[in-house]
Amino acid sequence: MDFQWGAEEAEFRNQLREFLAGELPDNWGEMSQNGPGSEAQAKYSRQFCRRLAEKGWLTPHWPTEFGGGGKGAWFHAVLGEEMWAIGEPRGPQYMNVNWIGPAIARYGTPEQQRTYLPPISSGSVLWCQGFSEPDAGSDLAALRTRAIRDGDHYVINGQKLWTSYANHADYCFLLARTDAERAGAKGISVLLVPMDSDGIAVREVPSMVGERYFHEVYFTDVRVPVSVRLGPEHDGWQVVTFALAQERVGAARYARAARVIDQLAAEAAARGRLDDPLLQVRLGTARAACEAARVLAYKVTDQRARGEPPTPDTNVARVANTRADLAVAELALAVYGADALEYGSTADANYRMAITAGVAVGATEVQLDLIARRFLRLDPNAKARA
Amino acid sequence: MTYLLNDDQKDLLDGLSTVLTRLAGPERAMQLGVGAHDDRLWRALTDSGYLDAGRGGETGPLEAALVVEAIAGAGGLVAAAASALVAPAVLDDAVQGPIALAECEGSPLVRFAPVARTLLGIDGDEAVLVTDIGDGEIGAVKTTFGVPVGRVPQQLWGRGTRLGAGSGDRVRNWWRVGSAVEQAGGLAAALRLTVDYVNQREQFGHPIAGFQAVRHRLAECAVLVEGTRWLALEAAALRAGPETAATAASYANAAAKHVVAETHQLTGAMGFTKEYPLHVYTTRAQGLTLELGGLEAHSRAVATARWGALMSR
Repeated sequence: MDFQWGAEEAEFRNQLREFLAGELPDNWGEMSQNGPGSEAQAKYSRQFCRRLAEKGWLTPHWPTEFGGGGKGAWFHAVLGEEMWAIGEPRGPQYMNVNWIGPAIARYGTPEQQRTYLPPISSGSVLWCQGFSEPDAGSDLAALRTRAIRDGDHYVINGQKLWTSYANHADYCFLLARTDAERAGAKGISVLLVPMDSDGIAVREVPSMVGERYFHEVYFTDVRVPVSVRLGPEHDGWQVVTFALAQERVGAARYARAARVIDQLAAEAAARGRLDDPLLQVRLGTARAACEAARVLAYKVTDQRARGEPPTPDTNVARVANTRADLAVAELALAVYGADALEYGSTADANYRMAITAGVAVGATEVQLDLIARRFLRLDPNAKARA
Repeated sequence: MTYLLNDDQKDLLDGLSTVLTRLAGPERAMQLGVGAHDDRLWRALTDSGYLDAGRGGETGPLEAALVVEAIAGAGGLVAAAASALVAPAVLDDAVQGPIALAECEGSPLVRFAPVARTLLGIDGDEAVLVTDIGDGEIGAVKTTFGVPVGRVPQQLWGRGTRLGAGSGDRVRNWWRVGSAVEQAGGLAAALRLTVDYVNQREQFGHPIAGFQAVRHRLAECAVLVEGTRWLALEAAALRAGPETAATAASYANAAAKHVVAETHQLTGAMGFTKEYPLHVYTTRAQGLTLELGGLEAHSRAVATARWGALMSR
């Protein structure tokens, strides 16, 4: 056990901070308030990620053969923390580098790797995630979008829902049922679908989270070649499992939350409230929640750094991350009071961003189910089998 | 950075586990009873050197923390945190244990005080060391909260050695870490017991582990216990800076409040009995939350350590 950062990682963090200080636009504070899913950040990410890629810092954690820096999981953690802390200027591209690229590197054919990975590692492409459907949310394996084989093509019909970035994305990482005879996790395949394909229609779902945050994506007789399938036919669930495990601790929400608490303390001081013992208790407790989320994320990073397969520690880290995020959003409302009532104010923006934490990437209840079964080994049949 | 034990740490814990399996465990704690001190375990741990891990050439605070966590997990009724972690971290020379930690101006009721040979107190910004405490000098009081509790006469502090400005904060920080580490071990054990219980306990025709209400609540506990553990170990490894120490203690206290309530709730009436070991861990955990001002004080300490420059007082 060793809790000290290596010199190389510490240096990388310093370089990133210096780069961010010089790179981000003057209106970044305002732009970043609506989160990485917002219209403004999605657009800005194309410019920012190209600059980050030029420095070699968009995919420092990827293997060099795929255009990465070969630096491994701890560099990835530093990168995620620094980006989230400042408001995630990579926008939707954090998904590209956290799990879409790694999934293609792991399950893709050499040709797919040559096609899809260079644009990701150069920061010039946006992806969206075609997972949820009207009747497949937490129960993702209930999805009904079909991709029926027709010679060398699939013909896709169905609807995806809550799809962030769909209005800007070049590709969709799509889950579809390729074997209509089978239900549940069997019979699902992953397709890498160009969003400019004929038959795709995107409609915004207005939401309280922010403008152009969620979308519906309709697929009507969309024809794609079989070569866009990632991983085995009908057995794409393993790809999904891999991707979700990457994603659950990919977003360092705790780092953003910790930065927000620092801002809240400064705001409370400016309002003459930082000497209030009750507020101090809340600030300290929320800070501790962020720190717990951090160490639990590090535990997962450590497992990744050793090349171990995902463990239920991922779900533990995700729940801690969510709890921290929500605690800080509540605290922001407490510090700003009625000043939070204006749309776009700091507390309002935090509240809207944090409110999704317990739902995105698998609802908290799903995480708790997985912790109960895999981490605690709670077994409803223990006695019957004994 | 790595969260894995190295070979030396594994060897240390393997050896300790042998001792604890033989001499400790919740059954032993129940046999001795609430408020007892395990003299036999204390002698074995001191003779074998495990409580000196914090002073070793090759080992330090992190190893001492691992030892304290393991002893707490085994329900060992000894003053491990103060003796193995706090004292070695703040005192240049070894002192005779068991050691009890106290706030000189706080409550006279102090955990482990009746069996202590040394008291380490906090008086303002100074620490005070009282050694050579004789038998019976500190009277025991009856307690609900697991470990021996004594009433420290105020005049005892008068004969102590004052350790200089700043020493009080050092003791406080390490005490916080010791408390968090002890919570990590005890809460994890309480959670394991409860998992075993709900896996076995049948109501309505099947084990209650099948109820989602039960499963989710224990899963929430698991998140808190894990967070407690890694914050506490990190704080020990990073030498108990004011912020990391208070952070570990704040989180551990909040976790203890939640996990104690939930494990008792899910173990039902069985959990209250002295014939079932849950209380060995939960009463001790509650006792720990009463020290150093508890959750509110730890959380305020986090705020002061991090944003004190912004405060007007």
